[in-house]
Amino acid sequence: MTASDKDMRDPRRDEVIAGEYVLGVLSAEDRRKVEARLAQDRQFAAMVNRWEENLSTFNDDYEALQPPPRTYSAIEQRILGTAPPDAAFSGKVSGGFWNSLALWRSLAFASLAVAAGLAFSMSSLLAPRPVSGGRLVADLSGENATINLVARYDEANGALRVTPVAAGKEKEKSLELWLVEDGKAPVSLGVLPQTGEGEVVVPAVMRGRIVQGAVLAVSIEPFGGSPTGSATGPVIASGATRFD
Amino acid sequence: MIGNDISYLIGRVSLKDRKAFAALYETSAPKLFGICLRILRDRSEAEEALQEVYVKIWQRADRYVPGNVHPMAWLAAIARNHSIDVIRARRPVATDIDEAYDIADPLMSPEEAVVLRSEGRRIDICMDELEPDRASAVRHAYIEGLSYEELAEIHGVPLNTMRTWLRRSLLKLRECMSR
Repeated sequence: MTASDKDMRDPRRDEVIAGEYVLGVLSAEDRRKVEARLAQDRQFAAMVNRWEENLSTFNDDYEALQPPPRTYSAIEQRILGTAPPDAAFSGKVSGGFWNSLALWRSLAFASLAVAAGLAFSMSSLLAPRPVSGGRLVADLSGENATINLVARYDEANGALRVTPVAAGKEKEKSLELWLVEDGKAPVSLGVLPQTGEGEVVVPAVMRGRIVQGAVLAVSIEPFGGSPTGSATGPVIASGATRFD
Repeated sequence: MIGNDISYLIGRVSLKDRKAFAALYETSAPKLFGICLRILRDRSEAEEALQEVYVKIWQRADRYVPGNVHPMAWLAAIARNHSIDVIRARRPVATDIDEAYDIADPLMSPEEAVVLRSEGRRIDICMDELEPDRASAVRHAYIEGLSYEELAEIHGVPLNTMRTWLRRSLLKLRECMSR
């Protein structure tokens, strides 16, 4: 078998190459080829991800070893130029509430929760309730979850919309959208609406800054948005913008 | 520290939160330093690599997708990939991705190999299904970041035999994990 176009799409060969990449046996040149493909082939990237996850059990073989203190100082110096000053953050890193979040678990399995939650809610919440002309709404929440999902059912067109709503045990939270640019403190693009489909109208002055590669992030903030103008809560999602 | 907290810190780092970065470093640096040192086998190179790794983590934190991969595995992959790149640059090996891939294996049909579903089995169980010398080569390759040439030498088999061993082992592992 040789590397013709046909072979390039052979899933078994792809699985092997993805595995070889993660094992680390490839040459430098082959590693660059694999990485170039990773950037544009999502299916192949998923194979690599899967090997990384599968083989990560072997990481137990690596002994943890304290690096010398000078290493962190060197890293800090290197990232200093791209970092906004500490004052830009109210830095709730060690806040008791956020530290004990089960947020990630809830988000990691959000899709699962939606599926399971909906099945449950549809039968227990939606079905028994008489339809009174209004929209049917279900709050989907999990134990210890800091994010809830609100499902709105539009009978007229059969659309069931599921919107994430930040929620805490103590009080309601809001989801705030941020623009993260290199070397600058994140700038708020607005608070995601608690109702509706999560549309945010970007302030006119900000529009020129939303360009390819700009990073958008969503954090959980006190109800109504961050009181300080900087992100104070955990980031629940982020990603760089790209052309479709 | 459990995975959820590391995920949270990575999320904060994507917002360029330096306190979160310091906490993430404190939590994860010993493990990542262990990885760099094991692969590079040189203390000062490992220190240098660790710096690069954390600069990358600072720059790429927004690419982390929670739920896709365990956060510690994600961090470890950055450390392994960087260390392997350094060692490949230091000890270049032949490129063979465009050469023949003799991966014929009558035990598995292509359809079986394509099955994309979540793993019902742990890697350990599947590793036990491999012949011991091959399982050991797979593990060795991963842990030490060795090339095919180095593995062939260490295990005392011809280069092509080692390639066939690892490639077939990868397919068997994939098939076993998808079962």
